[in-house]
Amino acid sequence: MRLSVAVAISHGRVYRKLGLGPRSRLDLLRNLVTALVRHERIEAPWARADEMQGYAERLIEYAKLGDTNEYAMRMANFWLTEKDLIHKLFKVLAPRFQPHPGSYTRLLQIPNRDGLDRAKMAVIELKGNPLPPLICRHRDTEKTLLNQLLKGYREDLQQATAP
Amino acid sequence: LVLVLSPLPRLRGLLQHCWGRLERSLLPGFSGSQSPPWGPALAVQAPAFLPEPGSDLRESNEAPSLFDSILWMAAPKKRRTIEVNRCRRRHPSKLIKVKRNIDVCPECGNLKLKHVLCGYCYAKVKAETRLIRIEIGKKEGGPFNAPTVETVVLYDGEKPSQKDEGKRIIERARKRPSWFVQN
Repeated sequence: MRLSVAVAISHGRVYRKLGLGPRSRLDLLRNLVTALVRHERIEAPWARADEMQGYAERLIEYAKLGDTNEYAMRMANFWLTEKDLIHKLFKVLAPRFQPHPGSYTRLLQIPNRDGLDRAKMAVIELKGNPLPPLICRHRDTEKTLLNQLLKGYREDLQQATAP
Repeated sequence: LVLVLSPLPRLRGLLQHCWGRLERSLLPGFSGSQSPPWGPALAVQAPAFLPEPGSDLRESNEAPSLFDSILWMAAPKKRRTIEVNRCRRRHPSKLIKVKRNIDVCPECGNLKLKHVLCGYCYAKVKAETRLIRIEIGKKEGGPFNAPTVETVVLYDGEKPSQKDEGKRIIERARKRPSWFVQN
């Protein structure tokens, strides 16, 4: 017996629905990718920035294949609506990210938008950009080398004082 | 024919009109008070009370009317007591949850959520980025002039180092902020 409505189930669907339809969703993401490549740091609703992160990273991977690659050029031509950014992508971003194996973007959440909708916003930026860094404090975890050495030292002291 | 006064006079008029049309269609020679052209063909013993055709029409006409459908609509049977109301209004699912992930930003001392950037620090960075972008706009001149080289931002009295060979230089006419560390 069917206990749940088939319409509301979306198990395993990875792509979010954005905009007015699939074509509109691709256009939205394309605009965001173009803006990211142009300005290297943009603010957007968190869902859109999250979707866009995957597409932007794949575009950079294609750019790393090289200028002469036909498929890479076709991808860049589709995804970047402003054609002067294709030059920037292949001549600036591809050499910048050549040593890195992956994760060329950073996605961080910012306080909710000030307007009526109080939307969850995020800022997405390319790593290594010339702009001032976002003040993002990294927490000290126990797994860092320094913390592990200090922990070992503390244990040694305890063992020395105990017997 | 027994005519029952229906509560809505408009409906009564409609019924009379419908019945008149039916009469005229069934007995075309009997419009007005003339005697019918034919006599009774057959006399049958029938029950004293015949189900009136008018009443069926009436029922089929009255079913969609508002007066009857009000009787089938849902309505509360009893007043909800204040105890029941309190139970519903104060249920934990309806109360606003208390946030326990608020921290103090170590840089500026404002409050921030743990997984979110500090609003004050982000506004600071955003203002500086805006000024840098204005300078970039002045340097580029028009739209669609993205450079094909890297960019570096230098403040008052700073010289480009040997790492900054071949990069486009953006000058900012102020002292370097403490949180923008030069690489």
